[in-house]
Amino acid sequence: MPDFEVVVVGAGPAGSIAALSLARLGHSVCLLERGPFPGSKNVYGGVIYGRILDELIPHWWEHAPVQRWITRRGTMLLTDHQSLCIDYRSTAWAQAPYNGATAYRPDFDKWLADEAVKAGATLVSSTTATGLVRTNRGLVGGVKTDREGDLMANVVIACDGVNSFLAKEAGLYPNFSKDHLTLGVKEVLALPRQEIEARFGIRSGTNEGADLEIVGGTQGIAGGGFVYTNLDTISIGAVLSLGGLSASKVRPEEVIAGLKAHPSLAPLVDGAELKEYSAHLIPEGGFDAMPEVVGDGLLVAGDAAGLCLAAGLWLEGVNYAIGSGKCAADAVHEAIAKGNFSKAGLVSYKDRLEATFVLRNHRKTRKAAHLLLSDRLQNRYPQIACDLLEQLYTVEDPLPKRGALTIGRALWKGSGLRIRHALRDGRDALKIYG
Amino acid sequence: MKIAACIKWVALRPDIDPLSGSVETDDRFSGVSAADQAAVEWALRMGEAWGASVTVATVGASIAESALRDALACGATTAIRIDIEHPLPSAAVGRELAAALADADLIVCGDWSLDRGSGSVPPFLAHARGAEQACGLVALSLDATGVVRAERRLDGGRRERLIVRAPAVLAVEGSTARLRRAPLGGVLSSARSSIDVRTPSTPNPAEPVRLVHARPFRPRTKIVDGPHGSVRDRSNALLGMGSTRTPPQRLVLDPEVAAEHILAALHAWGEIDDPASAEGQ
Ligand SMILES: Cc1cc2nc3c(=O)[nH]c(=O)nc-3n(C[C@H](O)[C@H](O)[C@H](O)COP(=O)(O)OP(=O)(O)OC[C@H]3O[C@@H](n4cnc5c(N)ncnc54)[C@H](O)[C@@H]3O)c2cc1C
Repeated sequence: MPDFEVVVVGAGPAGSIAALSLARLGHSVCLLERGPFPGSKNVYGGVIYGRILDELIPHWWEHAPVQRWITRRGTMLLTDHQSLCIDYRSTAWAQAPYNGATAYRPDFDKWLADEAVKAGATLVSSTTATGLVRTNRGLVGGVKTDREGDLMANVVIACDGVNSFLAKEAGLYPNFSKDHLTLGVKEVLALPRQEIEARFGIRSGTNEGADLEIVGGTQGIAGGGFVYTNLDTISIGAVLSLGGLSASKVRPEEVIAGLKAHPSLAPLVDGAELKEYSAHLIPEGGFDAMPEVVGDGLLVAGDAAGLCLAAGLWLEGVNYAIGSGKCAADAVHEAIAKGNFSKAGLVSYKDRLEATFVLRNHRKTRKAAHLLLSDRLQNRYPQIACDLLEQLYTVEDPLPKRGALTIGRALWKGSGLRIRHALRDGRDALKIYG
Repeated sequence: MKIAACIKWVALRPDIDPLSGSVETDDRFSGVSAADQAAVEWALRMGEAWGASVTVATVGASIAESALRDALACGATTAIRIDIEHPLPSAAVGRELAAALADADLIVCGDWSLDRGSGSVPPFLAHARGAEQACGLVALSLDATGVVRAERRLDGGRRERLIVRAPAVLAVEGSTARLRRAPLGGVLSSARSSIDVRTPSTPNPAEPVRLVHARPFRPRTKIVDGPHGSVRDRSNALLGMGSTRTPPQRLVLDPEVAAEHILAALHAWGEIDDPASAEGQ
């Protein structure tokens, strides 16, 4: 006799939503979390896109522990001494139902897990799942924990985050490679609230906020940076390719120090007090690096299933974790109704993922990682774009002004880049963002 | 035989504003101190050794129930919470606990709580129960039913050995025991266990100290002796220049000879008496 119908391992966004949905559907569900409370161990940049919550928790924005609502979104190209920023602002995003929000994960994850508990899930924290328990028919029938006694269930949903040990143990990560992972590092810096609003050009006294995504500035290591505003702190960090980082012999905190010292970013963080430093892996491999997500008695969701969308313009994982957690819960509900917990009984999970934004977006952006981490996108194009603008804006009287095309052509020639590479990159970019 | 443990829910990582001195606490970073955890562990060990029931009690708000559930998960039999919203003075806490644990033969408390605790609840509790008290315990061993052999910390690094017999109140330091990890079954069943919530017998006891006017603590200026000697002498003294010292030696010796060398060196530095004469004695 199992202890619960379902055990969900990991009370991150994927796990809490899976548990919440199953509890609402009337199932007995245990949400297992290794940290002392949900979110205590979790690291991310800072922006949550909550549209996927609209149905699950109506008017979630009235209850969620949000720091600031993003009304300013910038995409910034950095070279050693230059920067070029596309700066978009919208007051529409300052009103319900909002677009993106910054939030601290210990607050947000705890809130989401509390919603699951309110719906009837049993939360067991400070407990790590250490392995899978198999039934005599070979199905996953529960988890071993670091406490005395196993936790038995009809189905286990592994929402244990990137590099999932449970999915690995089940043999669902056959092509696991470090090249599918990046390292996210982040500092949280404290500044007075008014100071943040003044430096980021945010309307003072509001809880509006800014989000800057950065290409370049990572000391030649493929990746990118970010700066997000919270109420009285700033999150600044970088996402770095693991191979590039180890080859560069640069320490991740040095990359953040480099970003903070960049002339375009230094005025934003000047004099701020370091509150926190954290680092975490990100499954950036995209669609082609996704593991198997269905096993006998086991589903894998969120980062554990490699469902983090890192595609330059977008660094989104929380909404994909929530989306996949919901799909997993619906698939398990169906399997319970049929009484079939084998892979065949659970396979509707994959179809559900395919039918929603979760896999559709990943499929569409499957070439993003390859494109974005290439030297051309990381260094060459930003350099050309910045030099082009620098020369266009520099007044060189009495010399006559040169047109953008003339400057562009000269810069292109000097760069040694090939037109066919640019065309291929353009085609890939169109496929991803077009 | 009935055993009880008393615990207090406190902020484990309070945020203190260095300017205003105001304290901010967060329930997520709250819990019970190492000393209180040790108290629960000793109560459980006594329960197991003597076949006794173990009650765990707290005076606190509903948030404290999660600590009581942890103790239940580890094996405590029952849990009592005396429901208060605002902190009570230690004497009142002692009285409340004494009333709630009137039938307990041995009560184990943490030596003092983390939130500026004065360690006075256990003596107040012992007084209210008319029981013996043994506080500041740094080592315990269980003897016949209801008898504990304990070592107590005294001033000047001294220790006192005690034999404590029920009825008594013991206050243990955190280093004496580490609370066991609750089994999974215990964690699951404790989530469903009911907690006996009681109203305090004297909800608003008169404050023994009335605060009339509070000012920040400003210690008197300390008069520090000015520097003596020339700048050169002082920097030389700081850097150890010009002073004679034995240079470090590196010796590779058999253990026995090495031990003799170490003893001789310690003697030469005045750290120990002559090892040869000590041997003679
Ligand atoms: C630096 C950085 C910046 C990011 N920025 C953003 C951003 O701005 N916006 C965005 O949407 N996403 C961002 N992400 C991605 C996002 O954090 C993840 O995609 C998201 O957290 C995935 O949620 P999850 O529930 O799948 O996993 P997680 O949030 O990782 O949660 C997994 C949970 O499982 C628990 N757990 C793990 N193993 C066990 C075990 N064995 N037993 C019990 N519990 C276990 C963990 O403690 C944790 O609570 C960022 C990530 C990083 C690292």
